[in-house]
Amino acid sequence: MKITVCIGSSCHLKGSRQVVEQLQALVAEHGLKNEIELAGTFCMGNCQNGVCVTLDDRPFSLSPESTRPFFENNVLPALGK
Amino acid sequence: MNKLCADIGYRSLIKYGEQLCGDHVDVIGQGEDTSTIVLADGLGSGVKASILSTLTSRIISTMVAEGLPIEDCVETIAATLPVCSERQVAYSTFTIIRLIDNREAEIIEYDNPAVILLRDGKNCEFPKTALSIGGKTIYKSRIPLRENDIFVAMSDGCIHAGVGMELNFGWERGDIIEFLETLYDVGFTAKTLTTILLDECYKLYGGQPGDDTTACVVRIRRREPMNLLFGPPANRDDCNKMLSLFFSKEGKHIICGGTTSSIAAEYLHKRVVPKLDYLDPEVPPIAEIEGVDLVTEGVITINKVLSYAKDYLEDNESYTQWSYKKDGASQIARLLFEEATDINFYVGRAINPAHQNPSLPINFSIKMQLVSELSDCLRRMGKRIKVSYF
Repeated sequence: MKITVCIGSSCHLKGSRQVVEQLQALVAEHGLKNEIELAGTFCMGNCQNGVCVTLDDRPFSLSPESTRPFFENNVLPALGK
Repeated sequence: MNKLCADIGYRSLIKYGEQLCGDHVDVIGQGEDTSTIVLADGLGSGVKASILSTLTSRIISTMVAEGLPIEDCVETIAATLPVCSERQVAYSTFTIIRLIDNREAEIIEYDNPAVILLRDGKNCEFPKTALSIGGKTIYKSRIPLRENDIFVAMSDGCIHAGVGMELNFGWERGDIIEFLETLYDVGFTAKTLTTILLDECYKLYGGQPGDDTTACVVRIRRREPMNLLFGPPANRDDCNKMLSLFFSKEGKHIICGGTTSSIAAEYLHKRVVPKLDYLDPEVPPIAEIEGVDLVTEGVITINKVLSYAKDYLEDNESYTQWSYKKDGASQIARLLFEEATDINFYVGRAINPAHQNPSLPINFSIKMQLVSELSDCLRRMGKRIKVSYF
């Protein structure tokens, strides 16, 4: 599974650093380093809905606050956990 | 035009308790390859010294730059400078370094510590001719320039640093030469060398300089072109034109901006590989494209570079940050401030609709503002700048 986070200007200002850091921590916390690939991308052309994140190819709109719920409600079930 | 150019940097420490500096440096450029640098040290300190040194350096730099003989300049100064009411003299020492076509240096010295020349990392004493003009002894020399020559002009505040405090006889010229020789190989810019030298003086003075202290470094180096692409063109049909111009230029290539790098990657038929390392929490991560020397985010990174550039021209305090850090802004700062001498900006005027949100500090006019401020700063660093808009 691949989670891609936009690190373009607009998403950066909306907190993509915190989103990335939280995702890195969550992946480590659940011991999923082999299952999940974290990647960055420049602008996805959807800045209004930043921070833009895709889970495989499904788009999500995250904020630092909604990162943990996103991980628990979308990422873990998709892995069958 | 030959391949050499001059990197000039200077700074002053003000005598403890004074608000004005009694030393003054003036740099006047004529044409692209000839410049005149004058370092003047006015008698005494404070306002009077400041007036004397400013007048002296201004008069000399203007006259010498116009090609008038040194005798006339000295006579003019003697006739013009206001006489100090306490000491009944009008007096300012000076050092002139004139770079002619970046081929030859003409050095004229009057009573300042002798100019230091480091050639191939070693001190090089050059022949001088003594002239007597209006009862003053003035030394004149002409030296053909070589790549990596470093000239250092100082006011006497440098060699008196630490007298009776840290050292008995001050920091003598020989000591300064030894100090500079150890720094030669690092490849510091003129401005940074000046800062290091003056920081040392400041330390020797125990943080309270007993005299105005000024150093001016001239570093002869080979021209180094650099190209920076920032923003997609206003009309997407111009992408190929802009990119083919950009990539055809000699020198390193830097690309700033997310969309911009995607367009460039497409043009090169390569992939953009962004990294996820936040090396500086304020600066977005960099990316890689095969065939491009550096790929970064746009507005936020350039804004950080601009703040480094402004500081470089003033106190140069953030040098300790950008000189080693690996984030995008520090890398651009090193490439532009230290490595490059000729910088070509390729600026796209496309408006990113997502950025035109009043809550975001990154709209279109800010981007254009950044370019003009940054190119202005780089010009003041003595670099040749060309900006093309698309």
